Amino acid sequence: MSGVISGGWEFVWAAYAISFTVLAAYGIRLAIAVRRAEKEGDER
Amino acid sequence: MDTHLPAYSPKAVKRAWLALAGALGLLAIGTTNGLFVAPPEHYMGDVYRILYIHVPTAWNAMLALTFAFFSALAFLWKNDWAWDARLEAFVETGVLLSLLLCVQGSIWAKPTWGVWWDWDPRLTTTAVMLVAFVGILALRHFVDDPRRRAVWSAVATIVAYASVPIVYFSVQWWNSLHQLQSSPKTVDAVMVTPLRINAFGMLLLLLAFSSLRSQLARRRLARELAPPPAAASLALGGEG
Repeated sequence: MSGVISGGWEFVWAAYAISFTVLAAYGIRLAIAVRRAEKEGDER
Repeated sequence: MDTHLPAYSPKAVKRAWLALAGALGLLAIGTTNGLFVAPPEHYMGDVYRILYIHVPTAWNAMLALTFAFFSALAFLWKNDWAWDARLEAFVETGVLLSLLLCVQGSIWAKPTWGVWWDWDPRLTTTAVMLVAFVGILALRHFVDDPRRRAVWSAVATIVAYASVPIVYFSVQWWNSLHQLQSSPKTVDAVMVTPLRINAFGMLLLLLAFSSLRSQLARRRLARELAPPPAAASLALGGEG
């Protein structure tokens, strides 16, 4: 045991993939809701 | 209580889209640098690269909850509905980032500590903070009366905010598996640049999301606070 971690790229990819997927999903959800709200506002 | 209705602002939405574009650009540059340009760390090797997403997420989660705290104070002080909309937006984005923070931390913990989770002071206080603010979102979801919802959630946000400095200082106050705060003084200069770029990218993302979310909250408040059609027509009749 040297106390040095080797490899571990799978953890790095997992952290970035989960983070950006969640942020993208939230952003898309917001964008759709804003577009829908603007459309409803225009129709009134 | 102020009776003027919060107005939807197309200008704020445009600014949010610009901030979102800036955030995507900065995060693309910062992440590419963090993953492929910055050198591996001496002990953690490549696993430390999670730092470039984890630390900016942590800083901005705490910033979002701090903005929520000041929005709560401003709402109680000024009775302006726009602050209630901002509070909702900042609590929601703060919860989203805190949730990601826990997931990223857990993924980093496995290869470095050997476990996905440990009830150490930093992780425990972060979990308590997350649960407290999820509770505020639940409160806002289940209370229909806008006035009660606004006052109750503002008070709850001020109380729950006590957990934020406790999370921040937990690694200094108690023995923790978690390392002390990272800063340009504790991170090598070569490794700092991607950290800063991602921190600003995440800040722009937080501002963009909060602004869009706040506009949605304003729309809902305007609908809820508008007088019923019969009362509105009576008022119009009275004026004429």
